[in-house]
Amino acid sequence: MASAFKTCVPRLVARSSPASLSGITASAARSFVRPSPIQTRVAAFHASKNLNILPVGPQVIQGTVNDAAPVPPPNPTHGSFHWDFERLVAIGLIPLTIAPFAAGSVHPVMDAVLGASLVIHSHIGFQACVIDYFPKRQYGTLRKAATWALNGATLLVLYGLYEYETNDVGITEGIKRVWTA
Amino acid sequence: MLSRSVVRAGLKGMISATPASAIFRPAVALQARSTSTNNTTATTHAQGDEILRAQRLKRPISPHLSIYQPQLTWYMSSFTRITGVALSGALYAYFAAYAASPLLGLHLESSAVAASFATLPFAGKFAIKLGAALPFAYHSWNGVRHLIWDMGKELSLKGVYRTGYAVLGLTVVTSVGLALM
Repeated sequence: MASAFKTCVPRLVARSSPASLSGITASAARSFVRPSPIQTRVAAFHASKNLNILPVGPQVIQGTVNDAAPVPPPNPTHGSFHWDFERLVAIGLIPLTIAPFAAGSVHPVMDAVLGASLVIHSHIGFQACVIDYFPKRQYGTLRKAATWALNGATLLVLYGLYEYETNDVGITEGIKRVWTA
Repeated sequence: MLSRSVVRAGLKGMISATPASAIFRPAVALQARSTSTNNTTATTHAQGDEILRAQRLKRPISPHLSIYQPQLTWYMSSFTRITGVALSGALYAYFAAYAASPLLGLHLESSAVAASFATLPFAGKFAIKLGAALPFAYHSWNGVRHLIWDMGKELSLKGVYRTGYAVLGLTVVTSVGLALM
């Protein structure tokens, strides 16, 4: 682009009036002789006030602007199977939630199934939050840390639930105790 | 760039050739513009990325939530996640603490929790129960609403609002009923 502009200079100089000629050549020559340091000229895109809830995240550029958006390899466990599993757990929670109200109390196994379903449902929900709020491209490390922290927390919670189901009274009975205390 | 410069040079020649009285007004502006230097510097790919990154940091980020008109649709959607995270967070906090209670010396057995809850006055019990029942009822009813949508039903604007108001009504009735149990 610079060379393209340079070829035009003689024509520009030749056709200019003598009064403005010296000024143009001097400034044009200066800009070609001494390359200025790279400048970032930032234009204001919007006149409205910026209302940031959080500071702007790191700007990560992968590839060039001409690259097409990457299409992830299709994987049923991330797609339709995951969706079906999510719904199955959610649908299963309906009778499991109503049963204690209807029957007054539930079998310990049913109570354990309810607890496990709640933990799985919660885990999927938290996973969705991690995926939404820690974009992999911008916060790769944080995403990994959050994912593993969630996995660890879920394991700890499952252990706690096991202890509660075996050594204590179980979820439905426990809530009933506190609720009617 | 090339064509622009050629046009500029051409115009310049035309302006200098014609008497000043015959030219339209922008002649002065044109003259001033042509004397300004247009610096172009060769940049490497990495430098280009750096400029792009700096430019992007100055961009306004995705619009703030408050610019949108409050509508039942997205308000209820947000509250589904908020209540879900609150309920699951409470579940995780309790069972993780229960798992760690022998190490931390905490007493989180159902009998201990029920005994401490019993010491509260009626208003305190009611407030805590309502605080727990409200997100539980809302998330449960709206979960059912989502499952109805997943079956492809009530997906019209009318259906979305009808089921939305139904969820709100059921939430109030159920949570107050639960809190009074």
